[in-house]
Amino acid sequence: MMRLHPPRLVAILFAGVLAPGWACAAEPEAAGQPARISFNRDIRPILSDNCFACHGPDHANRQAGLRLDVAEQAVAELDSGTRAIVPGDAEASELVARIVSTDPDSVMPPPQAKIGRLTEAQVQLLTRWIAEGARYEPHWAFVPPVKPDVPTDADHASQPLDRLVAAGLARRGLALQPEADRAALIRRAMFDITGLPPTPAEVAAFVADSAPDAYERLLDRLLASPRYGERMAADWMDLARYSDSYGFQVDRPRPTMWPWRDWVIKAFNESLPWDQFTLWQLAGDLLPNATDEQRLATAFNRLHQQEAEGGSVEEEYRVTYVNDRTTTFGTAFLGLTLECCRCHDHKFDPLSQKDFYALSAFFDDVDEAGLYSYFTQAVPTPKLRLLDEASAAALAQADEAVGEAAAECGRADADARARIAAWIADAAPLPEAFAAVGGMIPGEVARYAFDGRTEDGRFADALGSKAAATSPDDNTVVPDARGGSPCTALHLTGDHPVTTPVGNFRRSQPFTISAWIKPSARYDRAVVFHRSKAWTDAGSRGYELLVADGHLRWSLIHFWPGDAASVRCAEPLPVNEWTHVAVSSDGSGRAAGLKVFVNGHEAATEIVRDSLTREITGGGGDTITIGERMRDHGFKNGLVDDFRVFDRTLAPLEIRDLVAPGTLAAALAEPRDAEALGNTFAAAFATEPALRRQALEAARRRRDDLAERPPEIMVMRDLPEPRLAYVLERGDYDKRGASVEPNTPAALPPFPVDQPRNRLGLARWLIDPDHPLLARVTVNRLWQALFGLGLVQSPEDLGSQATRPEYPEVLDLLAWQFSHPRAEGGLGWDMKRLVKTIMLSRTYRQRSLADEKTMADDPLNVWLARGPRHRLPAEMIRDGALAAAGLLVEKVGGPPVKTYDMPESFKPEKADAGPALYRRSLYTFWRRTGPGPMLETFDVPKRVVCVARRDTTNTPLHAFVLMNGPQFVEAARVLAERLLAEEQGQADRALDRAFLLLTSRRPDDEERAILRRMHSDQRAWYDRHPDEAAKLLAIGDHRRDESVPAVDAAAAANVINALMNYDGCVVKR
Amino acid sequence: MNRRDWLTTFGMGLGGIALSEMLGRSAAASGGVLSGCHFPPKAKRVIYLFQSGGPSQLDLYDHKPALLAKTGEQLPDSVRGGQRLTGMSGNQSSIPLVGSPFAFTQYGESGAWLSELLPHTAKIADRLCFIRSMHTESINHGPGVTFMQSGSQIPGRPSIGAWLDYGLGNEYDDLPSFVVLITKNKGGQPLMSHLWGAGFLPTKHQAVRFRSGSDPVLYVNNPPGVAAENRRQLLDGLRELHEHQFAGTPDAEITARIANYEMAFRMQASVPEVTDLSTEPAHVLDMYGPDAKDPGTFAANCLLARRLAERGVRFIQLYHQDWDHHGGLRGGIRQECRQTDQPAAALVQDLAMRGMLDDTLVIWGGEFGRTNYCQGLYKPGAEFGRDHHPRCFTIWMAGGGIRPGTTYGETDELGYNIVNDGVHVHDFHATLLHLLGIDHERLTYKFQGRRYRLTDVHGKVVKDILA
Repeated sequence: MMRLHPPRLVAILFAGVLAPGWACAAEPEAAGQPARISFNRDIRPILSDNCFACHGPDHANRQAGLRLDVAEQAVAELDSGTRAIVPGDAEASELVARIVSTDPDSVMPPPQAKIGRLTEAQVQLLTRWIAEGARYEPHWAFVPPVKPDVPTDADHASQPLDRLVAAGLARRGLALQPEADRAALIRRAMFDITGLPPTPAEVAAFVADSAPDAYERLLDRLLASPRYGERMAADWMDLARYSDSYGFQVDRPRPTMWPWRDWVIKAFNESLPWDQFTLWQLAGDLLPNATDEQRLATAFNRLHQQEAEGGSVEEEYRVTYVNDRTTTFGTAFLGLTLECCRCHDHKFDPLSQKDFYALSAFFDDVDEAGLYSYFTQAVPTPKLRLLDEASAAALAQADEAVGEAAAECGRADADARARIAAWIADAAPLPEAFAAVGGMIPGEVARYAFDGRTEDGRFADALGSKAAATSPDDNTVVPDARGGSPCTALHLTGDHPVTTPVGNFRRSQPFTISAWIKPSARYDRAVVFHRSKAWTDAGSRGYELLVADGHLRWSLIHFWPGDAASVRCAEPLPVNEWTHVAVSSDGSGRAAGLKVFVNGHEAATEIVRDSLTREITGGGGDTITIGERMRDHGFKNGLVDDFRVFDRTLAPLEIRDLVAPGTLAAALAEPRDAEALGNTFAAAFATEPALRRQALEAARRRRDDLAERPPEIMVMRDLPEPRLAYVLERGDYDKRGASVEPNTPAALPPFPVDQPRNRLGLARWLIDPDHPLLARVTVNRLWQALFGLGLVQSPEDLGSQATRPEYPEVLDLLAWQFSHPRAEGGLGWDMKRLVKTIMLSRTYRQRSLADEKTMADDPLNVWLARGPRHRLPAEMIRDGALAAAGLLVEKVGGPPVKTYDMPESFKPEKADAGPALYRRSLYTFWRRTGPGPMLETFDVPKRVVCVARRDTTNTPLHAFVLMNGPQFVEAARVLAERLLAEEQGQADRALDRAFLLLTSRRPDDEERAILRRMHSDQRAWYDRHPDEAAKLLAIGDHRRDESVPAVDAAAAANVINALMNYDGCVVKR
Repeated sequence: MNRRDWLTTFGMGLGGIALSEMLGRSAAASGGVLSGCHFPPKAKRVIYLFQSGGPSQLDLYDHKPALLAKTGEQLPDSVRGGQRLTGMSGNQSSIPLVGSPFAFTQYGESGAWLSELLPHTAKIADRLCFIRSMHTESINHGPGVTFMQSGSQIPGRPSIGAWLDYGLGNEYDDLPSFVVLITKNKGGQPLMSHLWGAGFLPTKHQAVRFRSGSDPVLYVNNPPGVAAENRRQLLDGLRELHEHQFAGTPDAEITARIANYEMAFRMQASVPEVTDLSTEPAHVLDMYGPDAKDPGTFAANCLLARRLAERGVRFIQLYHQDWDHHGGLRGGIRQECRQTDQPAAALVQDLAMRGMLDDTLVIWGGEFGRTNYCQGLYKPGAEFGRDHHPRCFTIWMAGGGIRPGTTYGETDELGYNIVNDGVHVHDFHATLLHLLGIDHERLTYKFQGRRYRLTDVHGKVVKDILA
């Protein structure tokens, strides 16, 4: 219902709007109102922040049918008959009436939203905008960047970006600061490119180099250093949520993800073009003839947290992983916040819930489990085997040996069959071994008839061995009938196991298991028998016969689902009737080697999985259990009888004999079927084939043992058939709504028609030079790394809630350059060239201090009226101290290391010893639920989710780490000893050099005086407390230099340690 | 400015004015985003005795004679109503009910029902408010504890204490406003540091965990070979360097750094002081029980919590693990009660004796309840266990504006579903903030373009339990 607004108030407002001279005020921004209204700069932020939640893209919560983010709908007539916006007529616009209303039932935003009234300036802006025609613009970040017009080079600023910044500063009456002094500049450049401080020699050389290209040559030299890749990788690890542990509750270490980190370092150092860097990580596995390196890059999508807490619902977590991949893709590559759309349409950006699930469908097709294995160390699938050349060659050789042994087996079998054929044709005598058999089937390990319990309550092994089975009394022996004859069988509750002492077969061992079974229902899932510790809790490691969706499924498993061989019967298992089932494995570990016989006949099967690469033993649960499995569905109310285990693959005729005893003897008595008898002879009785089989098994075992060794890393690999994806209502994994096809959000460029609807197509869509987001997002993050603050302040969100950048043209210029080929004047996605472009600018090279008023008015340096200044990231503080002390071990890559502070972590770990203590910080072992305390204290995120921006806090807790932490105490001591030794004990000279090492400049006279005072205080104190000096010097693994007297070393060490806490050491200026 | 001038100006001499007041609040002692409370607070601080693992409400607080009578019978489908079960018991073929083997009695004028496992809690029953109708959405520990502590099942949101530090700041200079204490040497379900993390808030709002070892705060103690005396000299020198730098580079970052180093120096004294329980008189130690003299036990942590509360720490979060009794419940729950019953009751009493209970909110509870049916098969008289149960559980609150001697909410006769006055986790959070004078809908933080709050878009204050 339309409410009348007080006409007088509106009249006053309009008087203001229409006042002559308003738009041409000399300093319009000083008055808080721009000369020309820009929808994106001035209006969208107000609407987005205050209105879109109820009148925006989210259709489910849209109030009064009003949508203000789309021009056509904002000006349309509403149900109430009014129009929110009447372009050119503010007085007729209901929106204006509502925002100025004083009636609590009418005013917008409504009081219950608890976001307060619009400010007078905001009301004026909206009113003016409507009065001037209410012109909408598409959101700036959704429009491809174009090369902006750059002001002419009036003040000889060399770079286009400087001209844009200078023009912006001029509008505020400001100008670029002069260049920082040479020492500050090389220090800034070193930290920004390599993450390490310059050595005194580097400083001296740069200060002395007066050539005009000295700075450019410096940048080139630094960009060629392997330290560059390490420095850049640290930031990318935050985005990729890299961790050496799985996260969530159990958070077990996962020791093999670091090769991905090393790949990132290499990619930066080689300046792999950013479009390829992006594509490889998203979809390297889908490239034609993908290399191992390209597959390894896709580990990016598997770095999310994973869970193994007992009792967790597997599908719930699988969906969580898919969501994490999708939102990480959004944050890292699109700069859009997609989390909201999991449960509902986005409130602020034109992203619907359907968009989210269509996008997530690209990431939904990997053959993964929702839970990693608690009881085994199996690497969750899909995964990549990391082979060095030697192991690759050894494996290939072992494979070849298996092939040869298999061929010999085939030849021996054929010979044996030929003998039987000749015998049947009366051309040869019956082989004596065959004649003597009398129908006995060799290789039987155990047989349970379940006719009753023994005196001690067990089930005897009918073979008379000691292999009796045990079971709680709840499973009972019951009378039943089979084939018209009465029989006894074991009734299973489904909750109680029958435990046998047999069956620990490796994947190279042939075996056969048979039983009569009678299911009581068409089971969705039921375990008939298995040899494993548990279902999801052990990744099902072992072998198992299940009823799944009513069909028998027979599997050998290292980790379900991606590392297994599995076949499923085409026909369903009959319910409430007896079926004889025999399953076998031929030792090949392939699906083709798995057979299921139903009532004596080989059943038609389809392959469910054929990707077994590792051993099926070693996960616990080493013997066969019937009818029940930990946290799985048992063979509830089913019957089982005559359970038999053989340590060889039975021939079909032998299987028929299991169903109808005597069949084999009968076949021998009247030998007609040459094929059946020949197969049986070859499989069970002939000498030569048996020897060949032994050789084959040994060859396979050698191959399998080799295959166990190489480390594996989680990567992406799509299922042959994509999964059907659904909208999940309210984001709940078990509330499937409409199905969706993989697609990109409607508000962004359309998916290319010539690309496949998979991650590869998605990646190619993203790396199109005209994609509006990828280049902007990347440039913005690099700007943040160099300046401490992005051009857009929220690098994770370039959507409509993002603060409009102060210098959109700078962002667009750099984004356009970055993404366009060099032939067109761009940088061809070359990250090193982008780094160099920005760092060559005068904007970057400015002194970091501006006048007092500018410092106060713009503390974050949004205006760029000065050079960058911010506390160094955690890694650089630690690495800088190690470098200055000469302790830093400059080895690239390798397994993570445990630093001095790991025993203090929430999940304590023993610290390493020796060189591992002095590696660069990005190699520190990262455990999400208990990260390294030093790095965490200095704001390294826990890396639980994708993070595009770190805090830079300044707290007393930092002081404790730097003053008292052994890493810094030791570094100070080692540096003190070294410098005192080199300076023949002259403390003043040593401290001068320490100051230079830690701050990249020499102390001035007053600083020198302060250092001397500090040193003499410490010296005096340790003279009085010599024992304390010894204690201080004993800290740390690094050997003490006994040539330096203890009191001298301790006094100098303390002063140097204080310098490690000094602004000039830990703040980049 | 020379050193002497600076000292005079900034009051750095002995007995001088707190530096942070002169320089604007430092990062650690600082104002919050809320300029004032939304309404007068009843509680000024919170001590939250978190019982991790899911204590069995049916064996401690929620007396169910009818359940006992039906022990051994199957849980009717009509009661279960399609509730999703965990993977622990979800695939069980049989789900037999089991009543509590412990005797229940009514206590105090309020007549609160309590089991024999809680004799000390029984003595202060009239000071407590039992909420028997708590319910949550999580069926497993990781998401369950995360939900209770941050209002979201997925890690990444700020914890309650971080929200308070962000909203209300830290009134006290020498200690952080948000401290975590964890019972030592406990097994059971692991805790994760994100439970007291800042989530998307700036990291300075996360808790400082006090450990029971010699370094209660990470590296708070000087290293061997450095004493307060020469440390002070070093800090003086460092300050002079900073002052000198500030003269040439007038940047607020430098003054903040000076302030932080002074606060660090004070914390080096205040942290060991507050954690030193040896100054507590014998009768107080006795009240908390024999464990109180053993640092890191729940009893010692309860006592330390009181000391921290006295010194102005706003949110003191204790964790006590190992209530996850899937099996061996009879023995297991008895042991946890032995460790927690007396100290928790003593804390409430101690606060009351010091006149602090009126403005200190004490909370006791876990992340969910336990099932009324047995996990695995039931055998009369034998050990048994209970699985996780999100649909109802019991917590208690005391002091800080809570109506004492109250029992709120009701579950059905089998203790499976709530029949009256359900309190969701979001409602609990809304009520907690309300007691601290905060409208839960107005303590927000804009992140990724959205205003987030502890209670997401839900939560209503439970008015009936307010004093």
